[in-house]
Amino acid sequence: MNLEDFLASKLRIKILKVLMDVGELNVSNIAKRVKANYQAVDKHLKILESENIVKHKVFGRIRLYRVNYSPKAEALKKLIEVWEQKRKT
Amino acid sequence: MQPKRRSVFKDESKLDINYVPYRLPHRNRELRLLTEFFSFLLHNPGGMTQRVLIIGRIGTGKTVLAQRFGLNVKREAEKLGIKLQYVHVNCREYRGSLFLILHKAVSIFHPNFPKRGYSAEELLQILMQVLDEHDTHLILTLDEFESLIEREGSEAVYKLTRLQETRVNKPQRLSLICILRKTEILEKLDESTRSTLQSNIIKLEQYSKNQLEDILKDRVNLAFNPSAVPEDVVSLIADIASSEGNARLSIELLWRAGKYADLEKLDVVTAECVRKAASNIYPIRKSELSILNLHEKLLLLGIARSFKENEKAYLSMREAEKAYKIVCEEFNVQPHSHTQVWKHLKYLSTLNIIKTEVSKIDRGRSTIIYLPLIPAYELERELNILLERRGNQL
Repeated sequence: MNLEDFLASKLRIKILKVLMDVGELNVSNIAKRVKANYQAVDKHLKILESENIVKHKVFGRIRLYRVNYSPKAEALKKLIEVWEQKRKT
Repeated sequence: MQPKRRSVFKDESKLDINYVPYRLPHRNRELRLLTEFFSFLLHNPGGMTQRVLIIGRIGTGKTVLAQRFGLNVKREAEKLGIKLQYVHVNCREYRGSLFLILHKAVSIFHPNFPKRGYSAEELLQILMQVLDEHDTHLILTLDEFESLIEREGSEAVYKLTRLQETRVNKPQRLSLICILRKTEILEKLDESTRSTLQSNIIKLEQYSKNQLEDILKDRVNLAFNPSAVPEDVVSLIADIASSEGNARLSIELLWRAGKYADLEKLDVVTAECVRKAASNIYPIRKSELSILNLHEKLLLLGIARSFKENEKAYLSMREAEKAYKIVCEEFNVQPHSHTQVWKHLKYLSTLNIIKTEVSKIDRGRSTIIYLPLIPAYELERELNILLERRGNQL
């Protein structure tokens, strides 16, 4: 996925921000926090995972997602931090 | 600038119920025993698991003993590079639910672990998976273990204690410390679960007055300014609390007495401060007892005597009524009917002298009675005085 397409989804960025903020969450909890439905969040998590930006761990029926601090994830983290800092100032 | 308010305390947090002191006076032997039971964790982690029962009445140091041990063993494990977690759970706080207790343990490793969508059995497997992944050993302390037994029964305890049997050729990871007041509740467990649990028991006796004094002196040194608590005041507190051998109560009295001293802007804690603290903790309002009619007093006397004699936490309505009839016979008074006795009970409950609760038993519901704050012996003494006075007036 190219960068333009990746950044084109508001929900995807919201999901990423939540995971960077909280650390580790299951799909339902992320959906609740970003105020989106389960299917949409699940779809975006799969995209994020295919880009090595998040990873998940399975515990029985539970899937917990967290940020996978790959170079892409690190770059996005930096971008979000700078952006959010700029918004605050 | 306002001058700094003077206080007898130098650090009152050392009197907090959650404070775990470094030294545990008169519990050294028990601490050594507990350490011995779990010594394998430091020499052969994963080789075995352990289950220990700590039994003792309120204020005998059960919780603090387990917590001190937890801190010590974790520190020793860290020194040796062994991954070990000590998790202390009060089962009552988690409504005796195995699911919530296990969730608490899992959330140490995964703080946002979801609370819905799976069973306690699945959560137990998840806990083991987490421990395997972290290559960690867990000592799970189940404080107020009675709550878990009451709510979940034998099955849940069995699963916890026999978990390792389903993990063939895997390291053993989960050890248990179960804290309870009396062994009777264990009768509710099936024989095999009981036998698994009862192999290692640490029984804590009530503290004597001298032992309470030693505990109080330690806390005085930690929490108060030098010379702020005279020895005779420590002795008085120990005297008051020794009737129940309850260290928690003695520390609570010490703290409250200190608060009264601060309130009255005193440099030292006086005996009067202690007496005020005691009347606060045992809020028997004598005027409340004196306004009771004869049968309310007799019923209350019967209840107080039953609690004193049986050392029970709860009385059934039937037991209370039986005790009341015996007291009526003693005072040569015709007992009231069941309905009237029930009304007396409700009235005593509204005055907060006793508490009643509806308890589910095998074939329906039953009213159970307990004394929320008032020691039975003190209640009996007060009622005897009042009833004697009445006798003299006749």
